[in-house]
Amino acid sequence: MAGLLARSCDSPPYAVILYGARVGFIVCRLLPHYPFPSHWGQGQGQGQGQGRPAMNFDDLFRRYQELQRYVGWSGDDARRVTAIAPLLEPCLPALIDDFYDEIERHPGARKVITGGQAQIERLKGTLRNWLRELLHGPYDMHYVVRRWRVGWKHVDIGLDQVYTNVALSRLRRGLLKAHEERWQGDLGEALATRRALNMLFDLDLAIIEDAYQTEYLARQQRSERLATIGQVAGGVAHELRNPLNVVKTSVYYLLNARQPTAAKTAEHLQRIEKHVMLADGVITAMSSFAKMPVPNLRPFAVESCLREVVENNPLPASVQVVYGFPPALPSALADRDQVAIVFGNLVRNARDAMPNGGLLTFSASSDAGLIAVTVADTGTGIAPEHLHHIMEPLYSTKARGLGLGLALARAILEKNRGSVQAASEPGKGSTFTVRLLAALEAQPEETQS
Amino acid sequence: MTIGADPSILVVDDDADICRNLSDILTDLGYRVDTATGGRAALELVRQRPYDVALLDLKMPDMDGLTLYREIKKLQADTVAIVVSAYASGAVTEEALNVGAWQVLPKPVDLHRLLRLVGEALDQPLVLVVDDDADLCKSLWDLLRERGYRVCVAHNEKEAAEHFQGKAFRVVLIDLKLPDGDGGAVFRLVRRNDPQARTILITGHRSEMDQLVQQVTTEGVDAVCYKPFDMARLLDLLQRLCKRSDAEPAGAR
Repeated sequence: MAGLLARSCDSPPYAVILYGARVGFIVCRLLPHYPFPSHWGQGQGQGQGQGRPAMNFDDLFRRYQELQRYVGWSGDDARRVTAIAPLLEPCLPALIDDFYDEIERHPGARKVITGGQAQIERLKGTLRNWLRELLHGPYDMHYVVRRWRVGWKHVDIGLDQVYTNVALSRLRRGLLKAHEERWQGDLGEALATRRALNMLFDLDLAIIEDAYQTEYLARQQRSERLATIGQVAGGVAHELRNPLNVVKTSVYYLLNARQPTAAKTAEHLQRIEKHVMLADGVITAMSSFAKMPVPNLRPFAVESCLREVVENNPLPASVQVVYGFPPALPSALADRDQVAIVFGNLVRNARDAMPNGGLLTFSASSDAGLIAVTVADTGTGIAPEHLHHIMEPLYSTKARGLGLGLALARAILEKNRGSVQAASEPGKGSTFTVRLLAALEAQPEETQS
Repeated sequence: MTIGADPSILVVDDDADICRNLSDILTDLGYRVDTATGGRAALELVRQRPYDVALLDLKMPDMDGLTLYREIKKLQADTVAIVVSAYASGAVTEEALNVGAWQVLPKPVDLHRLLRLVGEALDQPLVLVVDDDADLCKSLWDLLRERGYRVCVAHNEKEAAEHFQGKAFRVVLIDLKLPDGDGGAVFRLVRRNDPQARTILITGHRSEMDQLVQQVTTEGVDAVCYKPFDMARLLDLLQRLCKRSDAEPAGAR
């Protein structure tokens, strides 16, 4: 916030051009509890009603008051500004005309005015109101909400914040100049009034820019969320459609077969059950990925854990397994069950990478409080363009599979204060290195979590 | 369609249960069904016998469905491919159709639609093109396939003869001038093996082959087309010949 204010003080601003382009402030008076009523911008913007920041009117006003304190705004400042309002009022029409003439010269600003001269006339009225409010106050909650809406609206119509900054600067300069020319009183008072006017502009700009950034970020996050949903949906689609396809075809057979035998009927019913369970497993895998339990870090022997995993994930006879563990390898400090999941994924990947058999080598070493376990296969390898992505969720080069195995492995190891690395040469094989904390000899049974 | 046997269908999907299910459903309807859970196994089957229709999964571990179809097409160009995919996006569909697959269906598959399409595919008239010009054969394949014909290609008399083992053609297009002999021999081969088949003679040599043309015309060839083709006329001719042979109308898409 400090940076934002500093910036606005150095190179002041404007923006209200479009304030109320599609909204009058009557709207917010009617609906004081919703900063952004869903019918705001009726029928014009897309995504109206989605843009409600998680800030209500009271919060907004408190924020404004905090900013007022920050710049040192006082009741005296308010009185000074309102005192010169009658003096400056006659200059407003010329300032407003200049304001829109300037916009005409800048394509980036002009592009948001799509309604021609009629819209400009309306906008001039809105700007006049904004300037009058600026000069007369009161600087209350409704005042702040209307400023906030300007920033929100600018995101909606695609007006870059820089134009708000420079346009406010131009208005500020115009008002200060008019003040210089018309002020006839005490010089000290004149300077104090200038300071007050500057603070007021800076506060307006701060609120508008805050609204702009908040809304901009919210929209960006929404579109990123949508992209993620699309990615997840694509990954899940394949894995669910295959079991659904089996279920559907079995049901079709049961309903339509001309000569179904009792044995065939039973076979299809069992098949339906099997694939319903498979589909359920896909969903379970997704949700277990989403909420992983907090690891229970305890010392355990890596080799026996790995041997268990290999036992539970049978390898074809064509795959030869070699264990190369040093005799004095320290225990690892991690959640054994979770690390077993990691090893399971690595072993199954190695198996899938060697459809024609090969060598699967497990080895380990310890150094500087870490244990490095390598799982190396002599399989198909991973092309460099895939290697960067294999740990991303839902990324898979296999015909079957969700693409969660390595992503899960990485997530688990991060939570267990470990890591996983991949190296591969297409046609020769891949090596995955899992690093775990080594347990200290002195406290073999210590539990951390 | 294959002579004297039930229509044959090849089902390829890396999910063995899907293979079993489609096999049960299609067998129950009287089709002869073979299944394979991978591209290599499927090609082994295709080398042993022709299939009228192939139902192909797109994503399989050893070979993707379109690569598999390209291979099948080399061995049995008249096999109608129906691709079934969990990834039936616009781009995938377009690529499949470009390769020459007939239809792309999304998973889970709509069985009513699938079975209707299998029926339609089996009704598509079989056409044999005998021409030594490989490019012309490819163009004709694409063009006639697009019009709903199942097309076999032979580049010489020997290859043509192989096609008559087990298949009945509605129409045979014969190039008059072939490297290992003239089209007349192929014409007589057709007459011997498949008397029901209609024949169209194609030639680029209007004058010097005149006599030969005269000869096969008297022997009973149905029509003569001169290169370069008037495609509209050729298609019209094909349609009429297929109708005259008292069969289903050319497979409408």
